[in-house]
Amino acid sequence: MILLHLDELKPGMILAEPVYNQQELLLLEQGTALTKKRIWMLKTWGMGQVYVKGRPRGDGEGTGAAGMETKETIEKELKEKFADVADDPVMAEIMKAAGRQLQKSLNGQDEGNERT
Amino acid sequence: MNAPDLNRIIARVEDLPTLPRTVLKITELVNDPQSSARDLAGIITDDQVLAARLLKLVNSSFYGFPQRISTITGAIVLLGFDAIRNLLLTTSVFDIFPNRKKANQAGLERLWDHSLGCAVGAKVLGNHLRYDKVEELFVSGLLHDIGKIVEMIFMPEAFDRISHLVRNENILMITAEERILDYTHADVGRLLAEKWNLPPKLGSVIRHHHRPSSAGRFTFEAAIVHLADILCRSLNLGYGGDNKMPALDKMAWETLRISPQAIESMMAEIKREFDDISLFITYTP
Repeated sequence: MILLHLDELKPGMILAEPVYNQQELLLLEQGTALTKKRIWMLKTWGMGQVYVKGRPRGDGEGTGAAGMETKETIEKELKEKFADVADDPVMAEIMKAAGRQLQKSLNGQDEGNERT
Repeated sequence: MNAPDLNRIIARVEDLPTLPRTVLKITELVNDPQSSARDLAGIITDDQVLAARLLKLVNSSFYGFPQRISTITGAIVLLGFDAIRNLLLTTSVFDIFPNRKKANQAGLERLWDHSLGCAVGAKVLGNHLRYDKVEELFVSGLLHDIGKIVEMIFMPEAFDRISHLVRNENILMITAEERILDYTHADVGRLLAEKWNLPPKLGSVIRHHHRPSSAGRFTFEAAIVHLADILCRSLNLGYGGDNKMPALDKMAWETLRISPQAIESMMAEIKREFDDISLFITYTP
């Protein structure tokens, strides 16, 4: 899961943790899909950050980049990561498989099967 | 690594944390053939937090039991002693580390995700290979980088220098450690495992997860964690401190006898299980 500021939330993201307000009142359940209205509601409650499902990018620079992955950045990052080991046929296979899997997450193909 | 080096690490990290009393007591019980499920249940229910976590986890999709398990004794009977010990180790091990620096928080969280990814990876690989103690593999995966946490918290200056070198030259953390220290997180992790009296297999897997073919009689287990580490890095599950892929240990890879074509379906499974389980086992600093 990934911790995002409210400004970074987008409709369709899934809450990975329940959200409580300062009075410990449950606002949204874990597993709730965000909508424009729900994001707006979180803002009106003055919430700062919430946990949503997904993975942070492995760039070491914290949160916020989850929605910015594109097909091109996935391929570029994988190539850089595997630069020293790509001669190994097994590693090359893993790199290709990872590319396809990351692509799938990008297109949200595995979100549809999840029990939420 | 030779003895003076080892001694130097021990001297530097002399205040290594100890395991919580409950987990230590449970380890003793598990090793005692006379103990019963009721003895074990007694100790666990004394610790409300552990008891609650245990029930939450056995009822998660990770174990996939069809009916709801509502008692600790029920959980023990279903899972067995070893599995329970491993499970408690799983849920408590990251709590042990005091969080002295705010700046560490984000790093610890991402390392936790990486460890969890590797744990899930080892479990998925173990199932595929029909290994009979997959929860042991799970714990090995979870603890494989524990030495990094020790460095982060108990050797902050060295850790900062290592992190800088990793960022500046875009190299593996283990390469930077070899240059700056003359030992690595794998060595430190093994020391901690010894201090905690964890099973020798676990210590050996932690020590050799970058070069499993050196793990002797535990090469197979170390190879599984080694490959799981590679797979979860490639899938960006968490962040282990660098952006490079470790080289695959060829000899170890061959002991696993996995066909390269089988890897992708396992990767998909790892991804799915990781998303499921990270809802149940969460690191909250």
